Amino acid sequence: MRPFFILFLKELRAFFLSPLAYVVMALFMFMNGWFLARFVEALRVQASQHSLLYLMFEPGWFWMGYFFLFPLLTMRLFAEERKLGTLETLFTAPVRTSQVVLGKYFATLTLYLIVLAPVILYFLLFQAITGETAAFTPGSLLGTTLALVLIGMFNTAIGCFASSLTSNQLIAAMLAFVGVLIHYFLGFLQYFGAGTSSLLAEKLSYFSTVEHMRAYSDGLIDSRPIVYYVSFSAVILVLTHHVLEHRKWKV
Amino acid sequence: MIEVNKLTKRYPGRTAIDQISFEVGKGEIVGFLGPNGAGKSTTLRILTCYLSATSGSAKVAGHDIFRESIEVRRRVGYMPESVPLYTDMRVSEYILFRARLKGLRGQDVKRNSEEVMDVCGLKEVGRSMIGTLSKGFRQRVGLADALINKPDLLILDEPTSGLDPNQIRQVRDLITQLGEKHTILISTHILPEVEMTCGRVIIIDGGHIKASDTPQNLVRRLRASGNVRVELQAPPDKARDALKRLPGVKDAVLLETRQDWYTLEVTTESNTDVREDIHALVLRRKWPLRELYRKAASLEDAFVNLTQTPTAD
Ligand SMILES: Nc1ncnc2c1ncn2[C@@H]1O[C@H](COP(=O)(O)OP(=O)(O)O)[C@@H](O)[C@H]1O
Ligand SMILES: [Mg+2]
Repeated sequence: MRPFFILFLKELRAFFLSPLAYVVMALFMFMNGWFLARFVEALRVQASQHSLLYLMFEPGWFWMGYFFLFPLLTMRLFAEERKLGTLETLFTAPVRTSQVVLGKYFATLTLYLIVLAPVILYFLLFQAITGETAAFTPGSLLGTTLALVLIGMFNTAIGCFASSLTSNQLIAAMLAFVGVLIHYFLGFLQYFGAGTSSLLAEKLSYFSTVEHMRAYSDGLIDSRPIVYYVSFSAVILVLTHHVLEHRKWKV
Repeated sequence: MIEVNKLTKRYPGRTAIDQISFEVGKGEIVGFLGPNGAGKSTTLRILTCYLSATSGSAKVAGHDIFRESIEVRRRVGYMPESVPLYTDMRVSEYILFRARLKGLRGQDVKRNSEEVMDVCGLKEVGRSMIGTLSKGFRQRVGLADALINKPDLLILDEPTSGLDPNQIRQVRDLITQLGEKHTILISTHILPEVEMTCGRVIIIDGGHIKASDTPQNLVRRLRASGNVRVELQAPPDKARDALKRLPGVKDAVLLETRQDWYTLEVTTESNTDVREDIHALVLRRKWPLRELYRKAASLEDAFVNLTQTPTAD
């Protein structure tokens, strides 16, 4: 267990010592602060049946910035070690590959939560300052937060996996971006040719981040997405483990 | 300390090492010598549990490298060939990180870190970024890392490659000093390094072990075809014929002519010294002689001899 914590802390430290951390955090905060301000403005001008949360996280603005986040957070994880050759010193130290993978994964997840925290905070602040109760319910805020954590777990795992495949951080970032986007758009497939096969559409909706988000931001906490995201993150981390162990395979 | 048994590693399309077996005893300093691409790094990577072998087995520090890899890694200090380091960490920070990662706790982390930084002469660069260090210092950081948890065995892959002569001497002295307390396996393609530091040499080429002996014995075996150089004043043809007729002489060739002085090189058969016979010969013929010199075979000759015969064995 100890190597896990040592690697976890090292990874966090490395991130906060790099300028990338602050650029990412600042951009993400600024963008979402701006979006939120626009939606508040829109609500002021014209009443809407939707809550502020719904407007914020409906497909569109938020996700554009959101999907850039994962490649940026994960690209260096393994790609940099591969490039520097430090995978060799890392794996000849008495640590298990699983401890390395989990240490890096949870460090990145923690970073993600740190980057995400201000966005959730905006809503709380808005609530506190305006004293408005109609903007959204506590349940929907909780649901939204939970959904963002779950989706983040999955996408961080994708990023980890992408980074383990290459020694080039740029390629790792692009792979992660493509992976994250493909998964996101999988959820939209159900709208194409809907009606032709409603069974397929229903199956596809299980993968749909958009659907999950919609339900959760209404405060409907369904257990299926939890199982879905947690188990798929685990599968992808196991794949990452195998990629790193690949050098040990007998050919 | 190391027992290697018929270890084979095949990369797709090529066999890097082929059924090699050797042993390294406790307290030995062994040089692992071979030209580039001989399979040195591959062997060391297998012994340090970074790669797995295609077949064969090995025990390091009493543990099987495949089944008890964590135990092996706890007991081995390894410095890879290119000395990979995190360039954006400070030296002391890196050493502390490695100390903790290798399982040191509490007081030991600090104490051992200071000790190895002292031994490796890193005190003055403790606060520098690793990325800004010269190659010599990076090498020392790698060495400090390998030493941090007081391992039973040190495995160093070409520890002096890319250094200037002064740095090479410093690292070599450091290794000699470490050899008093550690078992060391050090790979290199630089000969003087082995001759000066190692008690035994394992010569590897094309994935096969060609020899394993002390440097002295390797050289002695090679005395086989010694060389004697003679510089004298005599009709060169006559001198050559006379030299050739001496017992134990295989050949004599004229190398150089300097006014009326001729330099000849005499190749002799194994373990024969013909210098006395040559002396007697020139006295008899009354040829003035001003140089008689036997070229001692060096480890370099042994190395060339063993690794250049195109897969004779
Ligand atoms: N990862 C690899 N994939 C394929 N071939 C490799 C790999 N690493 C080394 N080799 C080959 O194996 C042989 C031995 O390499 P190596 O052990 O690095 O030699 P040395 O360290 O003695 O110079 C070389 O021919 C090299 O090209
Ligand atoms: Mg090598």
